[in-house]
Amino acid sequence: MQIQYKPKRNLLQTILHSEIMQGMAFTLKQLFAKPITRQYPQEKPDIKLGFRGQHALVRDQETGTSKCVACMRCVTVCPSRCIHIRFHEDEERGCRVVDSYDIEALRCVYCGFCEEVCPVNALVLTEIFEYAAYDRESIFFDQERLLANWDAFAEMKGSAINSYINPFWRPRGIPERELTAAKRLDVPDEWTIEGQVVGNLVKRDQ
Amino acid sequence: MHVLILFIEILILFAIIMLHVAYATYFERKIIGHMQVRMGPMRVGWHGLLQPIADGIKSFFKEDVVPEQADVVTFRAAPIICLTAMLTSLAVLPFAKGWVLADINIGLLFIFAMSSLSSYGVILAGWASNSKYTFLGGLRSMAQVISYEVAMGLSLVGVMMLSGTLNLTKIVEAQGGSFGGMYIFPQIIAFFVFFIAMLAETNRVPFDLPEAETELVSGYATEYSGMRYAIFFMAEYIGMMVMSSIGTICFLGGWNGPFEVTIFPPFWFVVKVYAFMFVFIWIRATLPRYRYDQLMSIGWKVLIPLALGNIVLTGFIKAFTG
Repeated sequence: MQIQYKPKRNLLQTILHSEIMQGMAFTLKQLFAKPITRQYPQEKPDIKLGFRGQHALVRDQETGTSKCVACMRCVTVCPSRCIHIRFHEDEERGCRVVDSYDIEALRCVYCGFCEEVCPVNALVLTEIFEYAAYDRESIFFDQERLLANWDAFAEMKGSAINSYINPFWRPRGIPERELTAAKRLDVPDEWTIEGQVVGNLVKRDQ
Repeated sequence: MHVLILFIEILILFAIIMLHVAYATYFERKIIGHMQVRMGPMRVGWHGLLQPIADGIKSFFKEDVVPEQADVVTFRAAPIICLTAMLTSLAVLPFAKGWVLADINIGLLFIFAMSSLSSYGVILAGWASNSKYTFLGGLRSMAQVISYEVAMGLSLVGVMMLSGTLNLTKIVEAQGGSFGGMYIFPQIIAFFVFFIAMLAETNRVPFDLPEAETELVSGYATEYSGMRYAIFFMAEYIGMMVMSSIGTICFLGGWNGPFEVTIFPPFWFVVKVYAFMFVFIWIRATLPRYRYDQLMSIGWKVLIPLALGNIVLTGFIKAFTG
């Protein structure tokens, strides 16, 4: 196959620089187009569903602390290895107790795998994204800080927090029976097609 | 007394031109911004209107760094040579009938001389900084200016032949007030050559090889900082204005327009110059940079033969039609 790098032009097109003219016409057209940029601090972006922002541990209404069961799935799945959990076995009750739960948010790549894999929906990436700081310590989240992040997020959402479901808590394209009990959430109808939770890509193709 | 009036006139012209230069940068940033579907400066003042002033203040108070190995005197002198040469050529530009500081008979030649001299400043800057980027930028500028000065000079010979003078005021008067009298029509080839050479003379995209950001950091201005860097920019923008003015005077009929604006005689001149400036910016927003050998081959193999052919053609037409 012969690759033609330069399209053939006739003499008139060469003299009039037809290709340059096309380019110039395009930039002139863009001059009168509406700018797509946003004047950020005054104009905030509208946050779509499934936005992955600041990390938080969901505060359980009953116990007042996190729902984490120290299954270590998030630690295992995390591609940047920024989650650190320490726990001990409670012999009497026969369960694990979380000693510390730390997230190094500076190393996080915001993939959302941790919230997707969590069997009890303990972890969430909230819609808060403005948490830059002047020192590294304040972006290292321990358990208290993560619970406080959730409180801040709950305050931001108001009463909607009671019915809040993060799309990552109910992974798409996985049948109900393969999910843990906590993850079999009643999701809104617009997330589903024929009872199956599907992604935006599927929706767009239809 | 005459000297004093002239001095005040010079000061007024200088102040107006500097203000224009400042707002030309704003104009450029805004237009390029909107052509790239963004907004350009928006923060300082209403829609960023005070941005050029903020930039000026900032660069004025920045540290003036001189590299250790630089040739200090030349390094310091180079931007001033650039700016002075460009500002001097403003003296002969007729903005309207009688609105000219020095109505000399070799106006066009004087402007050529001054624009060559300003590239001398660029070359000195490149050499004196003692850095490979600036040196390459200076060399490129030298080669570019030598090639394109020839094409530009030859392209304006046609205009000189038609008007029979080098005096810029007389060139405008020779074109008359009518639309058809503008030299762009009989001298369309010359205008084409002039336009391309003008872009190359002022080191603008697509011929901005002396300062090619992507390969030479900032070309000849790499080692400069603060006010001296700003002076290079002023020189570049004044150069753009001077070249636009030459284009307006020689091809577009200078201050003549469809109707007379009695309150402000240079009205049409300013409109035409700004139209030129807009095209400069428009081209910058559209075209990528030429490769160096392409630049040279366009200059020597296309523009100079075209300009020479135009001279012959103009000569024949003038000889046969009288």
